Amino acid sequence: MRRKNLKKGLTFTIMAAASGVGKTTFINTLCENPVLPAREVPDAEKAAAEKTVSINPTTIEMEEDGLKLSLTIIDTPGFGDNINSENSFQDILEYIEKQYDDILAEESRIKRTKFQDNRVHAVLYFIQPTGHSLREIDIEFMRRLSPRANIIPVIAKADSLTPRELSEFKHRIMEDITHYKISIYDFPIDPEVDDEESIEENNELRALLPFTVIGSEAEVNVAGRRVRCRQYPWGIVEVDNPRHCDFSKLRYMLLNSHLQDLKEITHDILYEQYRTEKLSGIVGSDDGPALADQAIRSHEASVKREYAQRMEGV
Amino acid sequence: MAPSIGIAELANQRHRIVSRKGTNFSIMVVGESGVGKTTFVNTLFSTVLKDSRVLHERHTHQLERTISIDVVRADVEEKGFKVRLTVVDTPGFGDYMNNQDCWVPIIDFLDDQHHNYMKAESSGARKGIDDVRIHACLYFIQPSGHTLKSLDIEVMKQLGSRVNLIPVIAKADTITPKDLATFKARILDCLKAHNIKYYIPSFEDDDEETTLVTQSIVSAMPFSVISSETEVMVDGKPVRGREYLWGVAEVENEAHCDFKKLRNLLIRTHMHDLITSTEEEHYETFRSTKLLSMGRSDDDPVARAKKSLASKMKEDEEALRKRFTEQVRQEENRFRQWEQKLIAERDRLNRDLEEHHSLVKELEAEYEEIQLQVKGGR
Repeated sequence: MRRKNLKKGLTFTIMAAASGVGKTTFINTLCENPVLPAREVPDAEKAAAEKTVSINPTTIEMEEDGLKLSLTIIDTPGFGDNINSENSFQDILEYIEKQYDDILAEESRIKRTKFQDNRVHAVLYFIQPTGHSLREIDIEFMRRLSPRANIIPVIAKADSLTPRELSEFKHRIMEDITHYKISIYDFPIDPEVDDEESIEENNELRALLPFTVIGSEAEVNVAGRRVRCRQYPWGIVEVDNPRHCDFSKLRYMLLNSHLQDLKEITHDILYEQYRTEKLSGIVGSDDGPALADQAIRSHEASVKREYAQRMEGV
Repeated sequence: MAPSIGIAELANQRHRIVSRKGTNFSIMVVGESGVGKTTFVNTLFSTVLKDSRVLHERHTHQLERTISIDVVRADVEEKGFKVRLTVVDTPGFGDYMNNQDCWVPIIDFLDDQHHNYMKAESSGARKGIDDVRIHACLYFIQPSGHTLKSLDIEVMKQLGSRVNLIPVIAKADTITPKDLATFKARILDCLKAHNIKYYIPSFEDDDEETTLVTQSIVSAMPFSVISSETEVMVDGKPVRGREYLWGVAEVENEAHCDFKKLRNLLIRTHMHDLITSTEEEHYETFRSTKLLSMGRSDDDPVARAKKSLASKMKEDEEALRKRFTEQVRQEENRFRQWEQKLIAERDRLNRDLEEHHSLVKELEAEYEEIQLQVKGGR
């Protein structure tokens, strides 16, 4: 994949969703730095309270393969924690749509300034390693969010499934995704534009979906090397070992090879779709924002008329 | 010296009577799908009591958001001792987006067992009662490493007051030993903070050796389990475990998980205690509460239905009221936001207007000048 060379560096935003499946540890492993503090465990008393999803963006500057990258990670602690998770989606969806709204508003200004692009370029959805198939909450989340963001399903805590269980699980998840017509980011290829190498690379990555991840911030000395891993009484699981999990491939794809593609799809396809829906009044089933738009437009029209009149008068 | 009467023989006799009669033992497993309940049960009794969930047909039927109570019965025998085993599973529990009240079918089931036993006991024919009262309820906790979820707390509260509740950390091969210790401590804190009653084996009358064993069992609670129906070769010996690329997590290795302790508790050392405490404590609690509402014990289902309907109506009313106030608040917020948006837009447009206006003014002035020049030039 070609990568554009920018002097200022790229901005990239990823959101992670799930609960209690190692998301925060994963983020810290991805950034190779304890970017996010370990989740504050609520007191025993507060554990029973129903929580709202908090959406916390954190930006870090990284250098990836010589290229400066300004990576924004959005964690969503609290998602899926409640007895009733129906409202948890709304908050996340609203956040993503708000970023689009901001861009939309900027684009409609008469005078446009260089804007801060906070759109979410990829959403990593963490699936619990049940070994069975997708749960209702998984299906609903991916279904509702896929029109607005690139969804990349990820199997969390992959060290709890044996190799055979993992491959069967992956297979069933992809079956579910097809059955429920969920459109995830599946490494699209354009036979006219892409070279053979890229096509092959994409096909390989697609075959790995969903990616299995294991996260660890701890390093241990294994045979003389410093290795990020999880230590069990029966063995050591290495995060960066491609035979143990797909973490390294996922990281490379996110921050290197497919970063540009994810950004382009977000802008060219997902944002455009949102824009069309919003401006034709489909989005925002409540009449409020649509009415406000109408009011602004009619005001604009009347101002234009005034101008025309004054020009004539001169 | 008095001749020995043969009291010591009583112990042997009792053993023979009990082993001939056998006993009923019922356990229930509660937890989300995929947490390892079926595998655990099959591992516990070293036999496939229940088949794993059938997944290849999952797309053929509509997603029904129900919780079912699955009962499996089997007769197991070891060294002449017969056990009539009943295992109750609860598929659908905690699996949906909205899990409100998902524990109600389970609670009702537990109460029904006590109720049925009570009715059978007070009926004419009392012999050979089919006793399906649950002697132990294993609640499977997701190995998140954080703390208990609100669902866990709510359900265990209800379970603990009705049955011997044994909290279990599922899929323990996904937490490292240090994280596991922290997790266990947090769970215990949580259970205490919410007054959740769980089963603690008694050891007052035991001899010293048994007491030590029991104490070690108690100190390991909540038990971490790893289950496997298959055997793997480790050091040349077949061992039940899970084989990963990096090693084998062994079910019966006490350094890997507490499965052995839990099995001992359930079957080897405390089965009798679980059975008696169910009969003596939990059943008696149920019975006394039921008998206190004398005169209504016969139309229990009706009274219960009425009560649940009334409470449901109250809940619905409350929910409606909350939603109403919430929606009103949302509308107000929205209005405020539009207002602000409109004001901002208006200001922006005004500013742009001002700019263009001054631009026009400048152009007008230029035009005037040019006109003057032209006029003057003529």
